[in-house]
Amino acid sequence: MTPRRREERGLVRPYVVTDGRAHPTRNTFDLVTLVMAHGDRPLSGLSPEKRRLMELCLGGALSVAEIASHLRLPVSVTKVLLGDLVDSGHITTRSPIPSAQLPEAQLLQEVLDGLRARL
Amino acid sequence: MTDHISEVMVWCLAVVVIALLVLLLRQHRITAVARRRNAVLEGGLLARDEEIRHLVAVRLPALADATSRPGPPPGPRDHGLTGTPFAQNLQAVMELFQRAVENAQARADVSAKTALKASMRALQGLAHEQQLAISEMQDRHDNPDVLGDLLQIDHANSQFGRRAQAIAVLCGSWPGRQRAASSLTEVVRGATSRIRDYRRVQVHTQIDIAVASRAVEPVVLATAELLDNATRHSQPNTKVEVSLQPVHNGACVVIDDAGVGMNAQEVQRAAELLAGSRPVDVSRLGDPPQFGFPVIGVLAARYGFSVSVDTRSPYGGVRAVLFLPSALLTHLDPDPPQTMSAPAPQAAGRPQPTPAPVPEPRAPQARPRPGDDTPRSYQSTAGGLPKRRRRQPAADQQRDDWPTPTAHEPAAESDTGSHPVRSAEETARRMGAFARGTRSGRAQDRDGAAPHHEEGNRQA
Repeated sequence: MTPRRREERGLVRPYVVTDGRAHPTRNTFDLVTLVMAHGDRPLSGLSPEKRRLMELCLGGALSVAEIASHLRLPVSVTKVLLGDLVDSGHITTRSPIPSAQLPEAQLLQEVLDGLRARL
Repeated sequence: MTDHISEVMVWCLAVVVIALLVLLLRQHRITAVARRRNAVLEGGLLARDEEIRHLVAVRLPALADATSRPGPPPGPRDHGLTGTPFAQNLQAVMELFQRAVENAQARADVSAKTALKASMRALQGLAHEQQLAISEMQDRHDNPDVLGDLLQIDHANSQFGRRAQAIAVLCGSWPGRQRAASSLTEVVRGATSRIRDYRRVQVHTQIDIAVASRAVEPVVLATAELLDNATRHSQPNTKVEVSLQPVHNGACVVIDDAGVGMNAQEVQRAAELLAGSRPVDVSRLGDPPQFGFPVIGVLAARYGFSVSVDTRSPYGGVRAVLFLPSALLTHLDPDPPQTMSAPAPQAAGRPQPTPAPVPEPRAPQARPRPGDDTPRSYQSTAGGLPKRRRRQPAADQQRDDWPTPTAHEPAAESDTGSHPVRSAEETARRMGAFARGTRSGRAQDRDGAAPHHEEGNRQA
């Protein structure tokens, strides 16, 4: 982000961004939920914040916290936008791998070996 | 002898009578003249009395109210007195009175403006402080209920700040906030943030024009006043449409409402106020005071944009057009995804932590990218955490071949030494491959019993 393009914080207030809503349409996001954008959806008709969110996510998976930081929006506001975008089919989310279900070291090693062989 | 005596007596009597008659006649004439003069003088006196009464009852009050009721002051009542020293003295009294009124008004205006300005600046400061506090709370609390309450407080606070700002501007203050150059869309949405019925405002077009830094706040304020007028003077169930148009030597913000519109007299008065040519008297803004147009007029005259409201909108209401000349516009760098990773110069001021796990902010020269000649570095958040860089799929890297190694992969590899330098795409690709690998591994491990894909709110 160049400084010229730095979004002026406080100019557009969050209630305009979410159109006055505070509750996301779904309660499935936390800070580390990964968000992936679908590039095939049209961006026209989206608000500037949603458009920027989509542009941000089209490069790969991003966590909710990262998106909020890039958009310079509160996390709770970002969740409202994400809920809308999930509803409209622009993005899908995936929860991160929970620590309790991490595979054992041997499996990881195998995966790593496989990856090394591939890359 | 007696005859002689009596004859003399008669003559004497006659002479006396004649003399008396003459005297009487003369006296009568004198009296009549005196009476006539008396009457004339009395008339003159009455006329002067009347004139004085007229002066006190009509002419001086009219003079005192002259600023609110434009027009020539009423003249003398009796034109017979014109040219007399009396009339000249009256005129002198009028002039003295007028000067005294003007001086008093100027003094009252200045002191009212000073007092209002000082108190509004204080309120503005408080509103700003509160806005920062609210923003901080919005960042801190991740709870929709709390957010809902905060949004309401934020909305009320923004309107409150705008009111204070408008009055301060009217009293000769500066709009106050210094802002970075912002796109016109952001400016209009910023203005939308400050009015009551922000949900009725629809900004349709998005154009790639930005407002120069010094004009952002005044344009936001003027647009907010126009939007406020538009929403206030139209039905609550109607929309206010905003469109942004580039024009020959500037840009226009066109605001259409579906309200009642204005009659010719109102349009004329609005045009006078919007021209900003007349100094605004804060004590005569009506009851309740109408700040909108005078504020816009002051800002337009000071910053060099113009506003007109003399067109009818296609929806029947008023069409307000705010014209921004090219001098107030600028062009922001286009927002290609590459610029996301460019170093932010303002970060040089604060200590930028370089955490150990992230690679050196050295640009991988092995894969030059069109338009990406700036050295990359990692931005950090306010909390000091490194920001991951994101980029759009560029022409040379499609999402389809995300997991597969591309032809120029070895070139990037050759650059890696003890400090592995990877581009963001490569890192993303590897992370994605890693995630897929672990997932398929787990799926195999549990004979495909585990769900491949889950959306959950589980805390890691």
